[in-house]
Amino acid sequence: MTQRFLILEDGSSYPGEGFGAGATTTGELVFNTSMLGYQEIVTNQIYHNQIIVFSQPTIGSIGITHDSYESILPTAKGMVVRDVSDISKNRQRSLSLDQFLKQHNIPGISGIDTRHLIRQIQKNGTMKGSIVDVDDDHAFDQLHATVLTNQQVAQVATPVPYPNPNSGYNVVVVDFGLKHGILRQLSRRKCNVTVLPWNTDAQSIISLDPDGVILSTGPGSPLDLPESVLEMIRTIQERIPLFAIGLGHELFALANGAEVTALPVAHHGASHPIRKIITNEIIYALEGQEFVVDGESVDRDRLITTYRDLIDSSIQGLRHRDYPAFSVQFFPDGAPGPNDSVDLFDEFIEIMGTREELHG
Amino acid sequence: MAKVVVDAMAMQRALTRITYEIIERNKGIDDLIILGIKTRGIYLAQRIASRLKQLENATVPVGELDVSKYRDDIEHDSQENDPKVTVAKIDFPITDKKVILVDDVLYTGRTIRAAMSAIMDLGRPQQINLAVLVDRGHRELPIRADFVGKNIPSSQSERIKVSVSEIDGQDSVEIIDR
Amino acid sequence: MDNEIQKILIIGGGPTEIGHETELDAATLQMIQAFQKLGIRTLLIDNNPFSVALERVQPTNMFIQTVTTENVQRIIEKEHPDAILPTVGGVLAISVVQELQESGVLSDNGVRLLGIPSESMVDVNNPDRINDVLRQIGAPVISSETVGTLDEAVSVATKIGYPVIVKPVAPKLDTNRILCDNENDLINAVTQGFAWSRFSQCLIEQSIVGYKEIEMVAIRDFTGTQVLISSLENIDPIGIHSGDSMVVVPTQTLSNTEYQQLRDMTFAINNKFNFTGVSHIHFALDAQKETFYVTKVTPYNDRGTALAAVATGYPIATVAANLYLNLKLTEIRLPEIYHFRQTAMMEPTVDHVVVRIPIWPFEDVPNADQHLSTVMRSVGSTIGIGRSAEEAILKALRSSQFSPKDELPSMSNLSDSQIISRLIHPLASHILVLLEALRRGYQVDELNELTKVDPFYFYKLRHILDIEDEIKANPMGAKALKDGRYYGFGDGMIARLWRTDIDNVRQLGRDHDVVPTYKGIEPTAAEFLTEATGYYSTFEFENESNRLSDHSALILGRGGNQLGPNASADYFTTSMLRQLRKSGYKTIIMNTNPNAASLVATLTDKQYVDPIQLGDVLNVIEIERPEIIFVPGNRHYLTRELRRRHLHIAVLPPDQEKRSELVNNYAQIGLDLFITKDHIVPIVISDLRSDQGMATTFDQITVMKTPASIDDTQLDKILQHATDYLMNDPRTGLVQMLYTIDHRQPVFAGVRPSRLTTIAFLNKVTGINWVRMLIRQALGEIDEDLISNLPLDIHSDRVAIMRGTFPFKQLQLPSQLGLTTQEVGGRIAFGSNTKTIVDDEADETE
Repeated sequence: MTQRFLILEDGSSYPGEGFGAGATTTGELVFNTSMLGYQEIVTNQIYHNQIIVFSQPTIGSIGITHDSYESILPTAKGMVVRDVSDISKNRQRSLSLDQFLKQHNIPGISGIDTRHLIRQIQKNGTMKGSIVDVDDDHAFDQLHATVLTNQQVAQVATPVPYPNPNSGYNVVVVDFGLKHGILRQLSRRKCNVTVLPWNTDAQSIISLDPDGVILSTGPGSPLDLPESVLEMIRTIQERIPLFAIGLGHELFALANGAEVTALPVAHHGASHPIRKIITNEIIYALEGQEFVVDGESVDRDRLITTYRDLIDSSIQGLRHRDYPAFSVQFFPDGAPGPNDSVDLFDEFIEIMGTREELHG
Repeated sequence: MAKVVVDAMAMQRALTRITYEIIERNKGIDDLIILGIKTRGIYLAQRIASRLKQLENATVPVGELDVSKYRDDIEHDSQENDPKVTVAKIDFPITDKKVILVDDVLYTGRTIRAAMSAIMDLGRPQQINLAVLVDRGHRELPIRADFVGKNIPSSQSERIKVSVSEIDGQDSVEIIDR
Repeated sequence: MDNEIQKILIIGGGPTEIGHETELDAATLQMIQAFQKLGIRTLLIDNNPFSVALERVQPTNMFIQTVTTENVQRIIEKEHPDAILPTVGGVLAISVVQELQESGVLSDNGVRLLGIPSESMVDVNNPDRINDVLRQIGAPVISSETVGTLDEAVSVATKIGYPVIVKPVAPKLDTNRILCDNENDLINAVTQGFAWSRFSQCLIEQSIVGYKEIEMVAIRDFTGTQVLISSLENIDPIGIHSGDSMVVVPTQTLSNTEYQQLRDMTFAINNKFNFTGVSHIHFALDAQKETFYVTKVTPYNDRGTALAAVATGYPIATVAANLYLNLKLTEIRLPEIYHFRQTAMMEPTVDHVVVRIPIWPFEDVPNADQHLSTVMRSVGSTIGIGRSAEEAILKALRSSQFSPKDELPSMSNLSDSQIISRLIHPLASHILVLLEALRRGYQVDELNELTKVDPFYFYKLRHILDIEDEIKANPMGAKALKDGRYYGFGDGMIARLWRTDIDNVRQLGRDHDVVPTYKGIEPTAAEFLTEATGYYSTFEFENESNRLSDHSALILGRGGNQLGPNASADYFTTSMLRQLRKSGYKTIIMNTNPNAASLVATLTDKQYVDPIQLGDVLNVIEIERPEIIFVPGNRHYLTRELRRRHLHIAVLPPDQEKRSELVNNYAQIGLDLFITKDHIVPIVISDLRSDQGMATTFDQITVMKTPASIDDTQLDKILQHATDYLMNDPRTGLVQMLYTIDHRQPVFAGVRPSRLTTIAFLNKVTGINWVRMLIRQALGEIDEDLISNLPLDIHSDRVAIMRGTFPFKQLQLPSQLGLTTQEVGGRIAFGSNTKTIVDDEADETE
């Protein structure tokens, strides 16, 4: 074990022990309060450019398992944990977290008072940080000088189309940096999926004649994506059932005239109750967001609010008044997190079914 | 042998979807009224109305139509005689309204026709739309549902049993071999 | 809220025993507080003299009677409660309510069941019926059959194949499962099981010994909204009763997929049975095949729900009380002390690890079979909270060993073959053997094979040994101290490894800034910046706990329950807490017993869950600088060390072992008195007996009955003697003068501090809380007025009997003469004459 440091923009430095890759890394510090699923979390592309602080203090205890990847090539910038175990689960003879991070050049640091860090972020807002070998002035200069890209989607989304064949409905997934949970759920429902790059235009999608279109999760700000994406959404929603998740939801809201603003502190976790407005049910789901749809800006003649977070009152779901198009801010596929809302995928399938009855 | 083809979750989803489709198709809920056909259609009508209330924070009137001639526990929409519909409870005007007629199962279409006549006797609605939880086919009249929870192609020897938690203790649709 | 419910009858847990200790009473207490807040009249039946809950209801609502079907029926018919609460009285309450439901008493009297709907009540604790329902919702259950005769049992077991598990159907006590390897075992188990079952039936099922045992605790409101409060992972596999297993919270070795499956299944089960309030579901996981089974459904409060509440800081019992009255989760406002949220609607997420380690009674009952099995044998438990598994394990272990100097016992004297045998057939304190095996070079895979304990825990234990080696190799090394403390080593342990004094260890810590930081125990993992009331220590960067007040009292709890004082000690502690608050102190409790009422957050202003060992206590003292510290009388070393540091301490509960002056080997009559500097106040005079009649030694005295069977002349002589004797004796507080009767003449047999159990008896008999008097004495609040106004009548002819209860039945021992050191609980009865009491008690003998 080697001593390394987590240094922050505010000038603070925390000594800890390095694990994973030995690289120096810089990213935005975000925290996640999930109690399980470190592998799903670190492989989720929404953490591109980010260093993830885990509130769960014991990380690595089940190693890396084959069914817990949310992307094949994770691009998170680092993991900050209280305690890490270098264990590969004997039942699968697979990698340990340490080995996995080394393979993907992601550094980790353990022995950090993560609870303190989370309280700091809550108090002072999001900060940049670096995992470094030496916490000298040079390191801080580098940290301050680092400008993180705002082209995250382009970095992580697939540049070329690829299929995920099956025998059911034809579904196009527009990839903004999708988590595999979405594909897993569609696959379970036998959807014949085509994944398309984020910047595919509407005509190209329509020409594939899909039964439904999904706008995927992804990293970064929806405001950094070009207007053409919003045009694509406006065209598609009029013609094809649409389901948008995470970043997709934010884009769907923008495309329909709502505004999206940055949260003072990003929210990642599954402990918030969410009200499903139409039935008044309360569910839990993994939330992972840095942006939020501004409730005031939602044009009630165009959009209906369908889900709301009961803790911070944030909008968690929208539906178009005129078209079978709907979106959720949270991740209904869990991975990691509750399955309470996984039947949104069934709803999507059933909407495609209705359309088929009517038009086909 | 009974086979569950729609479970509680799926029934919830179907009603949710129908509710959204009603909003989509009617551009909102202005002038909307919902009429449920006794017995289970009424509960479904009430559920749709409560969903609309949740979403739009406005109350949509719900009325009841009674198919008087048949027992509750068998399908009223059978091929035999034309059913007779009486108005059980509609204490609001329907002229110029958009009527959503709600029933649990759409079969021959005779019940729906009778229901529509009963409605027309009461006033002159702007339009009548039909929402059903199950469309099982075998239509004998040119009637088509505008909102369908689930299409269940069935043989005439089968019975479709819809249960709603309000009176049956559970939400489900089952196919029963006669 | 359901306004039709104005009066609720709560069925209490009865005497503590193996299977349930103070957690039921603690839950009852919280329920009562919540009901009272909602303006509901709450009746309680219980005969546990150490019940804290009993003290929270008005005398007219208090039914100090044995929990039997007949007694509960009588109360229902007299009081006509609107509803009955069966979920805080353990297995007994469930079976009583089942009988009342079957016989129509509930429906005839219009009494509603809270928590468990009548349709589901018939299934509870009936594994066969439960399994039928579980199969309907596609829940995986183990193949099993119910049998009513030995022949059936043998043929079913042969069909399923040994080993099999035998479970009594609808048991009268918390028996759980008996593992049978062959027909002989089976016949014994089934015979026993028939006797325990209300229907003389047993369930025989396929053995799943070796599987991982996971428990889920959830709450649900009447609309079906649910919250998964916590997951519990048994470190020991199935085959060891979960009450005898080390348990870790939250689960450490489950994947998200596994966890979510269990969460979904928990919710589905609760929906199917339509439970409201709290529910606790057990699962068995086959790690190899990645499948699981539902093994137990308990929709009531138990040690699992208590642990979940303490571990997460989520007030389960309080919330459940509201749920029973058909409040929605979103409508329930939590008491103000729970700052984290305004409503009960949130799914706890924690950023610490909690480990619970059981405490076994084998030192006090040496003739019991000490093997851990499917039958529970532990009598208490302690928890450790930390920010790593190592830290939590070590803290729990340090608390469970009752080592005065905070040192862990060594297993180095075990032979290699003993080690192997104990790995395969675990005994108490199994974890010390696991550590020793690692020390001797056993490999993780090998140990996993032998014990079925997940490899994760062996990695953690090995890490503990690595740290121990590092400490050993670096005497007075700052880094070694930091690593040691960081991973949960106590100052006493480190001092011993370095063969030095604890003060030197602590000075080294101060010199190198290795100081404790306290973290809040709250259910949001720091997502909300709020002050917690509960804290645990770790050695990190940020300390969240600041001095509470310049007028505070620190009360050191007794830790995990053991035989002997057991439940009465915690009863004593809670009484102290109440009086200290009344006297104007901010109260701070330090305790490690997750089942203790004294840890209920509403009873104190601040709670520390840390080992009650010198180093940890000094750490808390340094933060809080309390005005006064209350140290339990059994903690001689701690008392001495704190005194040596000139801290203001009071020893309460009083020392039971020292300060006795006995001139005989036994006594028949006891006179309890309260003594101050200026007063000698006789309280109660009683007969002292053993469980089987005449006591021939002091430690056989486990029964007290008042009034004593003596005449007025004898009483006057005793009173006179006691006054004369104590006049010239320096002792104060509560003392018991002991006498024998020889030729009708009282003969002095000795004097001793009133026992903790006796004090509870005095409280119940006189209606005066003598613990609070002791506190007031320690605080100098006793005056002439107070003493002269005490409503005492030493001549009262009201009959009261208190008997100690013993764990022999659960330990599968034949009935034997119980000793004071073997008491697991107690029961008390009142009556106008002895006969009514004997009748009442006869109801519970089987």
